[in-house]
This record gives sequence, C-alpha cells and structure tokens, in this order.
Amino acid sequence: MATLTDPGGIAGTVKPRIVRQYNFAQTVPALALILLFFVLPVLALLLRSVLEPQPGFGNYAALLGSTTYLKIFLNTFVVSALVTAVSLAIGFPVAWALAIMPSRLSSVVFAILLLSMWTNLLTRTYAWMVLLQRTGVINKTLMGLGLIDQPLPLVNNLVGVTIGMTYIMLPFIILPLYGVIRRIDPAILQAAALCGATRFQALTRILIPLAAPGMVSGALMVFVMSLGYFVTPALLGGTANMMLAELIAQFVQSLVNWGMGGAAALILLVVTLTLYAVQLRLFGPARMGGH
Amino acid sequence: MTEPFLQIRGLRKDYGIVNAVSDVNITVERGEFMTFLGPSGSGKSTTLYILAGFENPTAGDILLNGESLISTPSHKRNIGMVFQRYTLFPHLSVGENIAFPLKVRRWGKAAIDAKVQAMLRLVRLEGFEDRKPAQMSGGQQQRVALARALAYDPPVLLMDEPLSALDKKLREEIQHEIRRIHQETEVTILYVTHDQEEALRLSDRIAVFSKGVIDQIGTGPELYANPATRFVASFIGDSDFVTCEIVSARDGRADLSIGSGGAIAGVPVHGTAVDGGMAALMLRPERLSLSRISTGAGTTGLSARVNDITFLGSSIHVAASAPSGETLSVRLPFGHEAAAGLSRGDTVFIGFDPASAHVFCG
Amino acid sequence: MLLNFERLGAWKWILLVITGLTAAFLILPIVFIAALSFGSSQWLIFPPPSWTLQWYKAFLADPRWLEAAWTSFRIAAVVTVLSVLIGLVASFGLVRGRFIGKEALRALFLTPMILPVVVLAVALYAFFLRIGLNGTTTGFVIAHLVVALPFSILSMTNALEGFDKSIEDAAVLCGAHPLEAKIRVTLPAISHGLFSAAVFSFLTSWDEVVLAIFMASPTLQTLPVKIWTTLRQDLTPVIAAASTLLVIVTIALMLLAALVRKGLKS
Repeated sequence: MATLTDPGGIAGTVKPRIVRQYNFAQTVPALALILLFFVLPVLALLLRSVLEPQPGFGNYAALLGSTTYLKIFLNTFVVSALVTAVSLAIGFPVAWALAIMPSRLSSVVFAILLLSMWTNLLTRTYAWMVLLQRTGVINKTLMGLGLIDQPLPLVNNLVGVTIGMTYIMLPFIILPLYGVIRRIDPAILQAAALCGATRFQALTRILIPLAAPGMVSGALMVFVMSLGYFVTPALLGGTANMMLAELIAQFVQSLVNWGMGGAAALILLVVTLTLYAVQLRLFGPARMGGH
Repeated sequence: MTEPFLQIRGLRKDYGIVNAVSDVNITVERGEFMTFLGPSGSGKSTTLYILAGFENPTAGDILLNGESLISTPSHKRNIGMVFQRYTLFPHLSVGENIAFPLKVRRWGKAAIDAKVQAMLRLVRLEGFEDRKPAQMSGGQQQRVALARALAYDPPVLLMDEPLSALDKKLREEIQHEIRRIHQETEVTILYVTHDQEEALRLSDRIAVFSKGVIDQIGTGPELYANPATRFVASFIGDSDFVTCEIVSARDGRADLSIGSGGAIAGVPVHGTAVDGGMAALMLRPERLSLSRISTGAGTTGLSARVNDITFLGSSIHVAASAPSGETLSVRLPFGHEAAAGLSRGDTVFIGFDPASAHVFCG
Repeated sequence: MLLNFERLGAWKWILLVITGLTAAFLILPIVFIAALSFGSSQWLIFPPPSWTLQWYKAFLADPRWLEAAWTSFRIAAVVTVLSVLIGLVASFGLVRGRFIGKEALRALFLTPMILPVVVLAVALYAFFLRIGLNGTTTGFVIAHLVVALPFSILSMTNALEGFDKSIEDAAVLCGAHPLEAKIRVTLPAISHGLFSAAVFSFLTSWDEVVLAIFMASPTLQTLPVKIWTTLRQDLTPVIAAASTLLVIVTIALMLLAALVRKGLKS
C-alpha cells in the first residue's frame, strides 16, 4: 500500500502505516503524571481548606483575622522584599562588571557563581548557621578587630535569614541581568558621553533605564521565590520571624490541621500566580529555569 | 599666520605590539569637510576615535583652536559624532534624544524646545518628535542622530561610516542631505569611509589612509591627477599597473622600459627610483588610446592582445593582456572607431601620454 | 563609556571591589565548610586546633548515614530513568505534535518548576496519606519525578527543536521504519539533550530537600533529610563531612556533564 513516505509500497513486510503527525498521545504519560500527582493533590488540598473542619471560609477568616498569622504574612513579605532589595543592590553592579570585564576575570566569577548555585541548599544554609553563631568566625573576627565586645546575635533572627537568603538569590538576579546589560550596545553609552553626559548622568539617564526590564524581571522572580522559601528561613530564622512556608508545614506536620494548612497554601499559591501573571503581562513569556 | 582650526600632530596609537596608526599629521580648516578614506584596518577609524576621546593616543597631540584636547574627557570635548550603528537612546523619543545633550547642559525648557524644533527642521523630520527610534527606518534614525549631534552647535562633527548600513539609493539621498546640512551649518566635518565615490562626492579634501599611515592628503582632483603612492593611485579612480624597469631617473621624471617593448621617457616618478630597479607603471583606463597598429614614432605605448570586449552603456571596456601577462583595461566612449570590428585575440597597440602616467618605486 | 571597562576611570575599581567581595561572599562559606569538615573542633571553632579525618570516618562508619546516602542514590537513579523516558516521549509530542492547547500543555508541564515546592510537598503528603504511599520509595520517586520532569522536558524539547527533522525523514525515505529512524538517527543527534536531562533529573532528586522532608519516614530518609533532622538538633561536624561529600558529587557530575555535552555536541 502506498504511503506518504513509501509511495511505491516497497516496505512490504513492515506494516504499512501512514506517517502521521505526532499527536497528543506522546504527551499522555507526562500529562497523567502531572494531573494525578500535581494538579489533583493540590486541588484536593485547596478543597480541604474550605471543607475542614466545616464547609465554609472559616479557615481563611482565622488566618486573615488573627494578628499572629497576619504577622507571619507580613514578615514573609518584609523578608522577601528585603532580600530582593539587597540582592538587586549588590547584583546590579556585579552584573554590570561581569558584562564588561575581560573574560579571564569574568570566567572566574562565573565559575564561582555556578559553583554556588550547584551546591546543595542545605550545605549553604548550614555554612551560614556555623559562620553566624555566637562563637562563629564572624563574631570572633569582629571581636578580634575590636569592633565589638559582645558577640552579635546574627542567627535566628531577621539578619541571619536575610543574609542566608540573599546568598542563595544573588545568582538569580546576577545572571539574567548580566544578559540584559550585555545586549546593550556600548556605542549608545559612547554617544551619551559625547552628548556631554557625565558618568553619573549616563548611568541614571541611560544605563539604568535600559537595564530596568532585566532588573524588574529578576526582582519579581527573586521576590516570588523568597515568598515560598522553606529551608533557609526555617534554619536561620527564629520563631519570632516564621515565614509562610514554615507555617504551612507546621499546620500539616505538627498540628495536623489540613484546613488551615490548605488555606495558607492557597494564599501562597494565589499570590505567586498573581505575581507571575504580572510578570507575564509586563515581559511576555519569561524564560523558566535558566540552566 | 593664524592658528589652524584643528591640528592633529604626530598621532600614534599602539595596541600592545600592534601598531594601528603612526605619524598622522593633519590640519583641518574651519568649516572644511575632510574625509578619512581607506580600507578597513587602515587606521582611519582609530584616528577618529582618538579625536572623540574613546582611545588615548600612544603619542602625539590634537589641538582645537590651539588648545590640546588629549587630556579632556569625552564628555567635555563638545564634539558631535554620528556612528555607524544607530546609537539613538531606545527608551527616549526622537525629541527627547535631541534634547538630551541640551538637558545635560542645563538649558532652559523653552530654549530646548526651540532648538529641538530647529534641528528637526534642519534634518527634515518635523513632526517626528514623539516617535520612538524603533518605529523609524535606518535612514531616519541616522538623521535624528545627526540632529542630536549638532544640537549643541559643536565646532567639529565626526562621522564614522554613518551610511554603510544603508542601501545604495538611501545612501545617495542622505549624502545629499549631509552636503546640504554642511553648507547650511558650516560645521567642520571629519568623515570616515571606505567608499571612494562617497569621499569624492562629499569632501573638500581627502586624507587617504593605508596601513596606519596617511599616504596623501589633497582634493579629489589632486589625488586623481597626482597620486603620491601606488595605493592612492589604485584607490582613487580606476588604474592599470604594468611592471617596468627604470632606465634612469632625474628631476622627478623617469625613463623606463617595458619588457620587450620600447622605451618610455619622461614619466613622473614617485618613491626612490633605482637605476635598473623594478617599478610599477600606472595608467588610467580612460586616458588610453587603442589602435590596430603603432602610429609611428611619437606615440608611446605597448602592444597587447585583446581578451574581452564589454559594452557598458556609455562606454566600451576592452580587457587586454600585455606581453608580461598583466591585464590592462581600456575604456572607450561608445561608438569609438577603435572598437569597431574588434574581436578577441586581436593584437592592438595601446597608447598613452607619458606625462600623464605615473610610475611608483619601492 | 559606561560599557567600556578601560574607560570607566575610578568607577572601574569600585565595580571590581564590589564584584570581588561578592565572589568572596559566594565562595567562602562553601570552602569554609569543606575546611571545617577536616577540623578537630566539635564546636566548629575556626581555625581548628588540629586537622583530622574523624568526621568522615564517623560518617562512613554510621550505618544510618550510609543508608541515607544509598537511599538518595537509588531514588535519584530511578527518577532519572523515568524522567528521561517520560520526558523524551512528551518532548516529541510537544515539538512535533499539532493539537490545540499544545502551548498551554507545555506551560503546564513547566509549572512544578515555578510554584513553591512546599505547596506540592504538603499536597502530596496529604494525598499519599490517603492512598498509603507515605514513607514509601514509590511515593518518594513520584514526588521527585514531578519536579524533575520539567527540567527533563526543557532539555529535550530544546535539543529536539534544534534538530532538523528532514534528516529523520531522509532516513525513512531510505527505507527505515519511523521508529527505527528515531532510534538510529534522531536520538544520537539529540544525545546532548538526553544527557542534560539525565544529569539535571539526577541532581534535582539528589539535592532535593523540601519534598524529601515530607515524603520521608524514620526508616526512609535521603541524605538531605538526615542532614535536616540532624541540623535541628545540633551542628555536629559530621554534617560538614556529609555536606562536603554531597558537594563533591554534584560538582563532579556537573563537570562531567559539561565535558560530555561538549563532546557530544561537536
């Protein structure tokens, strides 16, 4: 039988088959996995938030009405905002430098960046737990230099969490921002100089506005990631600054309160999705997971 | 004697062990349109970039109205520049682009608005002030770049191959615009290009760059009629080269012999002539005569064999081989009697006036 | 001039200093932990009074640590195989298929990568409790598979999109069965994508913490889980040793991946 690729019908013993376009069937195993073990469980959890212990929005009322929980929401936002701001403040000059440095210097920095990203999250957090403890290197060095005479409380508080999370988020700002700055034509900055702009004027009126889309996009990504972070805040933060992810875990593991846990999870999910929608609207489909 | 307006003295630029320009000396008059002409890598853009302040020279100086520019940073030099790539600020509108150098100089709002309008009128883009660069064609963008560069009335305008990214027709249009703007504003222009036609069309004088040095500076006609080096001869106008031997040379003229041909006397010579040494004789295709037989003594020339005859509209182009094997082209006006009945393989006599030829040594 | 390193003037040094400090900030903790793992101080005093291998010996001598490492490895291995297989097939569907909702499906497949892991962890925990998969290897594998698959699909759709299908068609025209053509022509050509997918799937599972915490049981723990539970009690240097080992495996794999990828691509 003549087929699209075998008009002479030569492939006799092989079952003649019209070579059809690859269709939906190929994606079914992956789809089944995602639906069954991602979409379904999450929906079920969200459902429980409005069904347990009684049908209704009681859990949400409890979460949003109580000062304890509101403080946790606020703390989550504050920490995320702080981490984003610090990461951006450090990340911009570093990305700028990387974009224009000679490559023998920048390759070293990139190697360090990548090494840091590949290192296990727990390892990196553990390192800061050790460094920041009262008898840790940082306090000892500061006391040794005579700058302080009592060890500073650097861990189990906002400082520790911010340092630890900035440490993890920095590469996520630096790498995309580096890409954006590299795409700016240096001749534009040369033209700005000839127009009479000082370095500062060229920075504020030309370079930063041109890099802004990369900065906003990176900041959004880091902010969203920070909102949902679990491991680092749990290890480096104190009970006073619990974040949302740990609250959810606590509801579910320690208190076995699925209603509240589900409700908190839904709030996190909604905020995350909203921010992604904003990102999409502003920048078009962002590149996911930049490996 | 008045100070020359712009003086480039003994300029040299090395990148490590590689030399980009050396011993560049140019004097530019106020209001002049001077072109740096040469192939890529000849040092013309490097010289321009040193003028703009994007590179520091290894040696030498640049004097504007008698004052040295070398130690002044780019943003204080008050020079305008139009680049090869469109360098408009993409996030600003056309009007904001032109206003940028004025804002930086703290002009008042009314003065800025008036100047922006004047500039738009100058480059014939009235009404475009709110457009963004991305919405404009390449030619329009370059005109805005020009307007921005001239907005603060700089004494000197630098242009680095601004038209090479445009197609031929657009290029000619904007060349015309540039000439008009030059006449209207009387600004001094330093223009870099590799296109000899563009250079001839636009400039008052041309500096021909080759391998980091200037071979010659002069007007178009000067460079064409009296090229100082073989390179200049080949770069400006069309040229044929024939290897010859110097018989003797005196007072700027040489007697030569070509292969098996006869002697040629009294050719202007350039470079160091060595009796008995080899040299290159340069002939202009359009100043050659063509005939079937040597028309007796008194006509200098050489015999050659016709390889190809091409009809090019207003002229006929005859390619012939000299006895040495080198190719000569002869350009005859259409309908010239010498071309009648000519065919491939014919032996012809190519004649020329020795006084209008040139021979280059070394 | 701002984008011209040589012409920044004094600013060049400011940028260099900030970058240098940041690079130091990024690498010192890791180097520090590696150094501490060889130090003899139990309270992680730096500099340590003397150097020792005792923490590594403690790690290798403790059956619970070794068991955690083995659990990590076998789960990661299974996840890798499944992720590459399912991802490969799905990639063909996504790149070559023509059906409505294809782009939406592609976005759906990538969602586990961008949503907060804790939400998935809690949801799966509840779900597995219901169906009795909690604390089982199967449950673990499924959980890791969900988050490893997006990387796998990304790698392979990328590689497949860069592959010129007419080469495969040419093979079919030469007489090869479509499946045979895929195996003998297409797969070798996208092998760098397959390899990337495998490496990223393995590392995603090997390094994964949050899901592991929820999927674990006292008898089924991956290395990250064991480190986590130990960390909540004290900061023993054995963790430093375990962490350093984790890091070495990751780095070795990523270097290997980079080298192999370079070799496969050329």
